[in-house]
Amino acid sequence: MKKWLVMLALLAGQAHAEDVLNLFNWNNAVAPATIKKFEAQCKCKVKETYFGSMEEALAKLSAGAKGFDVIGPSNYGIPPLARQGLLLPLDKSKLPNLKNINPAFANTALDVNNQYSVPYDFTVTLVGYNATKLKELGLQADTWSIVFDPAILAKIRGKVTVLDDPREVIAAALRYNGYSANSTNPDELKKAVATIRAAKPYWAAFNSQSYIKELTVGNIWVALGYSNDMFQARQDAQAAKRPFEIAYGLQKEGNGMTADSFVISKHAAKPELALRFINFMLEGQNAAEITNSIGAGNPNTAALPFIRKELLSVPAINPDKAQAAKLEQLSDQDGKTRRAWNKAWTELKLVR
Amino acid sequence: MSKPVYGLGGRYAKWLISAPPLLYLLLFFAIPALIMVFAAFRFPGDYGGLVPLVDVNPDTGARELLLTAENWRDFLTFENFGRFFEDSIYLELFLKSFWYAGLTTLICLVLAYPLSWLIARSGKKTRDLLVLLVILPFWSNFLIRVYAWMIILGPQSYFSRVLNGFLGIFGIEPVSLLFSQFAVIIGLVYVHLPFMVLPLYANLEKHDMSLLDAAQDLGANAWQRFWKVTWPLSLPGVWAGVALVFIPALGMFAIPDLLGGTNSMMIGNLIKQQFLDSRDWPFGSVLSIMLTLSVLLLAAVAAWAGSRHKKKD
Amino acid sequence: MNKVSRWVWGAAIGVYAFLYLPLAIVVLFSFNDSNLNAEWVGFTLKWYVMLFNDEVMLEAALNTLGIGLVTCVVATVLGTLAGYAMYKWRLRLLPVLVLTPIAIPEILMGVSLLIFFVMLNMTLGLVSITLSHIAFCIGFVAIVVRSRLQGMDESLVEAARDLGASPAMAFRKITLPLIMPGIIAGALMAFTLSIDDFVISFFTAGVGSNTLPLEIYSRVKVPMKLNPEVNAVSTLLMLLTLSLILIVSKVAPNALRAE
Repeated sequence: MKKWLVMLALLAGQAHAEDVLNLFNWNNAVAPATIKKFEAQCKCKVKETYFGSMEEALAKLSAGAKGFDVIGPSNYGIPPLARQGLLLPLDKSKLPNLKNINPAFANTALDVNNQYSVPYDFTVTLVGYNATKLKELGLQADTWSIVFDPAILAKIRGKVTVLDDPREVIAAALRYNGYSANSTNPDELKKAVATIRAAKPYWAAFNSQSYIKELTVGNIWVALGYSNDMFQARQDAQAAKRPFEIAYGLQKEGNGMTADSFVISKHAAKPELALRFINFMLEGQNAAEITNSIGAGNPNTAALPFIRKELLSVPAINPDKAQAAKLEQLSDQDGKTRRAWNKAWTELKLVR
Repeated sequence: MSKPVYGLGGRYAKWLISAPPLLYLLLFFAIPALIMVFAAFRFPGDYGGLVPLVDVNPDTGARELLLTAENWRDFLTFENFGRFFEDSIYLELFLKSFWYAGLTTLICLVLAYPLSWLIARSGKKTRDLLVLLVILPFWSNFLIRVYAWMIILGPQSYFSRVLNGFLGIFGIEPVSLLFSQFAVIIGLVYVHLPFMVLPLYANLEKHDMSLLDAAQDLGANAWQRFWKVTWPLSLPGVWAGVALVFIPALGMFAIPDLLGGTNSMMIGNLIKQQFLDSRDWPFGSVLSIMLTLSVLLLAAVAAWAGSRHKKKD
Repeated sequence: MNKVSRWVWGAAIGVYAFLYLPLAIVVLFSFNDSNLNAEWVGFTLKWYVMLFNDEVMLEAALNTLGIGLVTCVVATVLGTLAGYAMYKWRLRLLPVLVLTPIAIPEILMGVSLLIFFVMLNMTLGLVSITLSHIAFCIGFVAIVVRSRLQGMDESLVEAARDLGASPAMAFRKITLPLIMPGIIAGALMAFTLSIDDFVISFFTAGVGSNTLPLEIYSRVKVPMKLNPEVNAVSTLLMLLTLSLILIVSKVAPNALRAE
């Protein structure tokens, strides 16, 4: 409603004096309370615009949408943004809190030396499951075979969904076959596709949107999805006092992982304010709030003391050294690989 | 041509009346759309979007066109169209989508016809209310409505349990309604139904009841009255409804995404995948052009068949 | 009531039931004391309380309604003109321009409009969303209006002309009232399409110009925020629109009814 008032004010010829920081990000990634805290500190206003998928945001920015100061892309979105000249290199002298970043998440191939980006959370692609049901059936979810092995799937036919995302599902199938999630080898891709093809008849759907709910309701028992979604499903099931427990864990063959980062737009009207915001988000307590509210993993070492205890014991949120070594950050693919995977995916979806 | 009888006439009327919508659509649809139609002949950028045709000269800061008479092959190509034709899966997907959309349209027509007929025959006051009641559910959010269908079709719902209990009596295995082609068709019919009812109603409402009375007086039974009088007169409404259901249903992606199983992909999903997954705008544009052309071709054939039909009469 | 009309009534009630079954769930669950949205737990008004404290959602709802109303009015006027012109004259370009926006995939249209607005250096926002919505709604109105005109009894207009009415007068007094049901049907479709649009709105929206579908879709990834508050806002938007229409039909009954 405010906007209409603001528009009226503008029509009346009055300008708005307050500084405004425009943030383009996932909905709720930064808790509303944290935003309020920053607004009080900087005596400015933070205006958030949301996206629901990284690729949607990329398409929009590639087509030339402007007006954002800080963007919060997934890391594989950084190279496309940077190569298209849409990002401003970070002035690190203005980011003293950069020291808080866990070295394991700093300086990755997706942004060498963190020229453009600072990670703020990470999500693991893993299996979430109805623990009660699987125990009844005597099945284990600590391996990708729960999603890919037809012999095991036969017991849970029609109760499994996987993400509607070639990047994630093929990556998981590659790990299941013992390959890198970022493989560009056509033979390895072929094997992964064969794995998916054999498993597909047992799956209920490709589902990226509602699997959390289907899990909590009990419509499906196994879902290949994101760790923070599974965190949510588990909480929801507990809150609704479902007669079963939702659990999630890493797979022993290794999991794909995606970090989200803050970057500054080349067209930022307030680059200084943007840096202040990023530095603010790097403070331990503010960074911890992200994990506490959405159950994402945290790449900030200073955040650990502020994260709720029960979350720290979740491997997908706080992996130990051995577990972290098996997490593989998904790379951004080149055009050729992307096309090959895409075509394989289309064929997979069409074949019965 | 005889003097203009219907409504506005005059020499300039044709231009005065058709210019506003024409100009609006040229400016806010045709020109922008041509940018993306042109994209079908370009190369995808390595990192999304398209390989740029203009670049900013680092020395002068001026924008320069990279495309020249010699190097146009580096920027323009027919390869994207070649990809479409070299593999039968895309054609297969088109046929499947046509089948889904066609079935949806047919079911919508069967459901909408009696309803529209009834609304058109009601008293003036009830009529407005009944029309409003058709569209009212569609003012709640799309996603929330579809989620409601997911609840209804889900295996835990009363509906599913009653149905499967019933099937069980006959020894039939329980069926899963959600995540199936059945759910996709239900969803497609549901979201498009008002777009069949409204044009049909707008057409049936003007029918002259005296014609039906005359037919009855001549001894025609209900079926004959419908088939010989009502149906032929309602054809323009039927065609409008068919167009407004079939065409949007053809390009739908949200319903198969949400309600479909592992075999429910439609052409809309493939197009969405090009833009929001493989960042292959040129191929997405090719698929869109093919889809649009096939619709226009179908419309032209229908119009041609219609005019031949008329001549025969 | 004879056998045939009983049969028709039965079918019509069945179709209404089909239309209202999901809506009943949407409304019912807006009062449900569970954020799972899956089964009835108990009555509560907390989602409405939450909604009234959720400025973002309310603003999005207001934007949606505003865009929907402007789109509805402009698209109906332009669409009616287009439908009339297509009925009256053999035009080549207009029918193609009317049909193509319906046929073209919305993603392509969204991206191309975004590129176009950027080229024009236009600030993205409520205006660019509205302009885009009008573009894809015109066709729906035009097609219904034309089908209403087709096979119309032309003798009335002829009579009016013979009695000395000017063409404009004949249009206003005879044609317009006759095609009013078509115009209303088209207007309802345009409004519905506009308030429900996600794809084109996403691409043409600017900084902070949020609409309800945009807000709700962005919450899909944040299930904690995709709670029955969304049902509540859906229910309220529906009621608000309904009451707007009822008020208009009371204040200006002739505007909405075919005479």
